[in-house]
Amino acid sequence: MKNLIKEIVETFGPSGREDDIREKIAGYMKAYVDEIKQDSMGNLICIKKGKGPKIMVAAHMDEIGVITTHITKKGFLRFSSVGGVSPVRCLYQRVVFENGVKGVIGTEPVDKLSKLDFDKLFIDIGAKDREEAQKMIKEGTFGAFTNQYDELNDLMVAKSMDDRIGCAVAIKAAEKLKKTDNEIYFVFTTQEEVGLRGAKVSAYNLEPDLGIAIDVTGSGDTPEAPKMPMKLRNGVAIKVKDSSVLVPKKVKDFFIQVAEKNHIDYQLEVLQYGGTDAGAINLTKSGIMAGVLSIPTRYIHSVSEVLAESDVKATVTLLTKILESDIKNLI
Amino acid sequence: MKTLEILKSLTESSGISGDEQEVAELVRKFFSQNADKAYLDKFKNVIGYKKGITSEGKIMFASHIDQIGMMVNKIDKNGFIYFVPIGGHDPRVLVGQNVLIFGKEKIKGVIGSTPPHLQKKEDQNKVTPIENLYIDTGLKKEFVEKNVSVGDTIVFDTAGAELQNNNMASQAMDNRAGVVVLVETLNELTKMKHNWDVFMVGTSQEEVGVRGVSTCTYEIKPDVGVVIDVTFGYSPGAKKHKVYKLNKGGTIASGPNFHPFLTKKLKEIANEWEIPFQSSFAARPGGTDAYSMQISGEGVPVVQMGIPLRYMHTTVETLNIKDIKRMAKILAIFVSNVDDFYKEVKH
Repeated sequence: MKNLIKEIVETFGPSGREDDIREKIAGYMKAYVDEIKQDSMGNLICIKKGKGPKIMVAAHMDEIGVITTHITKKGFLRFSSVGGVSPVRCLYQRVVFENGVKGVIGTEPVDKLSKLDFDKLFIDIGAKDREEAQKMIKEGTFGAFTNQYDELNDLMVAKSMDDRIGCAVAIKAAEKLKKTDNEIYFVFTTQEEVGLRGAKVSAYNLEPDLGIAIDVTGSGDTPEAPKMPMKLRNGVAIKVKDSSVLVPKKVKDFFIQVAEKNHIDYQLEVLQYGGTDAGAINLTKSGIMAGVLSIPTRYIHSVSEVLAESDVKATVTLLTKILESDIKNLI
Repeated sequence: MKTLEILKSLTESSGISGDEQEVAELVRKFFSQNADKAYLDKFKNVIGYKKGITSEGKIMFASHIDQIGMMVNKIDKNGFIYFVPIGGHDPRVLVGQNVLIFGKEKIKGVIGSTPPHLQKKEDQNKVTPIENLYIDTGLKKEFVEKNVSVGDTIVFDTAGAELQNNNMASQAMDNRAGVVVLVETLNELTKMKHNWDVFMVGTSQEEVGVRGVSTCTYEIKPDVGVVIDVTFGYSPGAKKHKVYKLNKGGTIASGPNFHPFLTKKLKEIANEWEIPFQSSFAARPGGTDAYSMQISGEGVPVVQMGIPLRYMHTTVETLNIKDIKRMAKILAIFVSNVDDFYKEVKH
C-alpha cells in the first residue's frame, strides 16, 4: 500500500486540473470494477455493478494549489490560492506548474509573520525579466506544491495526503471487496477544496441510497493543539459532525456497529471547522443518507501532512466491511 | 390547546440541529390535529399536508424546528466535559447555564467559570472563548466516560417565564414560535376554503446552514413558498433601523430574496383586514430558510414573515404572543386567496 500512497500523493492535480491524477487512479481501478466513466466536472466514476442498494464512495482527488495572476517587471509571478492555502504555510515552498515549470514562493519583507498575505508573496521561477518569464508561463496557470513521501517511525508524511489518502483507501477497498449485492460507485471527485463541487454534481447524477466520504480530519495530539478528540494511531475516525454535515444518527451508529462487530479500532470525530464531500451528497435532491470515515492527520494543508499507517488500514477494513453489509435497514 | 400552551410545550421540547427527533414528533402531533396527513421525512423535516379543494397548486410553509445547542468534544481527566457549539452562540451567554447532556441517559450539568476573585486582573474584562468553557456534572470521571461519548448532544435546561402583557421568555423561541404560527394558520384554515394544497413544514438543520428546507423543497416542488422565522425585536441599545417592536404585528419582509408581487399581496391582505404588521427590508438573502427555498429546483417565489423577538440566541428569547396570532390570520387569508392572485404572477 505504501507504494500506492507514494505514487498518488506525488502526482499533480490541484482543483480544476485533475487530469494527471485521474489517469493514474483509473489505471489502478480498472482491474477492480465493471465500468469506468468520467462526467462533465471531471469526476472519475468507477462502478461495481449490483442489484441491491446504491452506495457512493467519495474521495476527492484534487489538492490545494496556486494560480498565477500577474508577472512583474522583474519576472516574478504574483499568484492566488486554489483552495485553503495559508500564506504562512506556503512560504518558501516549491511549486510545479501544469506545464512543468518549477518555482519557489518568496515574500516581500514583512515585520511580522502574522501580517503575511498573498499580496506580499510571489513565485520565483528564475526568470531574468518579464519578457523571459512570459515565455515560460502565462497568467492563469495552475500550480501544485511538491514534496516527497517519507516515513517517520510508524507514521507517513507527504503533501496532499488530503485527500489522496482517501483515494488510496478507496482503491484498496475496491481491491479487497468480496461479492456483494450492493451497487457501488467509487467516485474520485474533483474541486472539493474549492467548495465540494465535484461531489455535488456526481451525487445528483448517480442518486445513491448512501454516500460515504473518505477524507482526512484534524488531530488533537500535538503540543497545545486545539481541543479535539481525534488522535493518530487510535483507529479510523467515524464522523459525528463537521461544518458541512451533521451525520444522521443511524448512519453513524451503523458504522460503529460494523466496526465493533469486526473488531476494527475506531474513534468518534467532532470537527468544528472544515467540510467534506458528505455535506454535498447529504443535501442532494430530496436528501441522501451520508456519513464519513476519516483519517486523523496532523498539519493539514501543509506540504507535510502526517498520519498513521494503522489508521489507514483500519479505514480500509471498515470501508470494505460497510460496503459488503446489507444496508436496507439504513435507507 | 391555547396558543400559549402550544408554545410552552414546543419550547420545552428538545431538538438541536441534527437531533430533532423529539421535537419533530411533537410538531407532527400538533400538525395532525388539522392536517390530512402529518409525517417526517428522512431529514427529520415534519410535513403537515392539508388538501385543497382543486389541488391546482401547492403552497409550502417553512418554519425551522431545530434549536441551537452544543456537542460533546472532549472529557478531561477529571470528568469535566468540553464542547463545541452547534449553531451561533454568544460565549457570554453560556457561562452559568444549566444544561442537559443526552448521553446513554439524560445527565444534568452546569457550565461553570472561574470565580472573579481568582481571575487575573487582565482576564476580568475578557470573554472566555467557547473552547475553554466546560460542563460540570458532579459525576466521577469513570461514570462520565461510561455514559457520555464524543458527539453526544447538549441542550440548555432552563424553564421559560410568562412575563406581563402577553410577553413570554424562553429558550428556543427561535424558532418554535414560528412553528406555532404554522399550527395556528392550519387551525384558521379549517374555517376557510382553499383551492391549493398546503404543506406545513417544520424544517430541520436551519441553524447550521438552512439545510433541511433545501431537500424538502426539492421533494415538494411548491408553486409558492412562505417562510416564518423570528426577527430582531426592539431592545435598549439595539440599532433602531434593524429592530421591530413587540406587539405591533409580525414583519413582512422585502428584498431580493422575496417575491415583490406576492409580498405586496400579503400587505394588502393585512391592510384590508386591519391586522397590524411591520415592514422589514433585507438588502441581501439572509440566514433564513428563504435563502435556500428561493433557489431550490427551478426556483420558488418566496414571501417571509418574522416574529419580533428580543435577546435572540439566549435562554430568555422574548416575544409577544399576540404577534403570533396576528400573523396566522394574515397567512390563512393569503392561502385562501393564493390561487386567485397567483394568476397575475409574472415569471
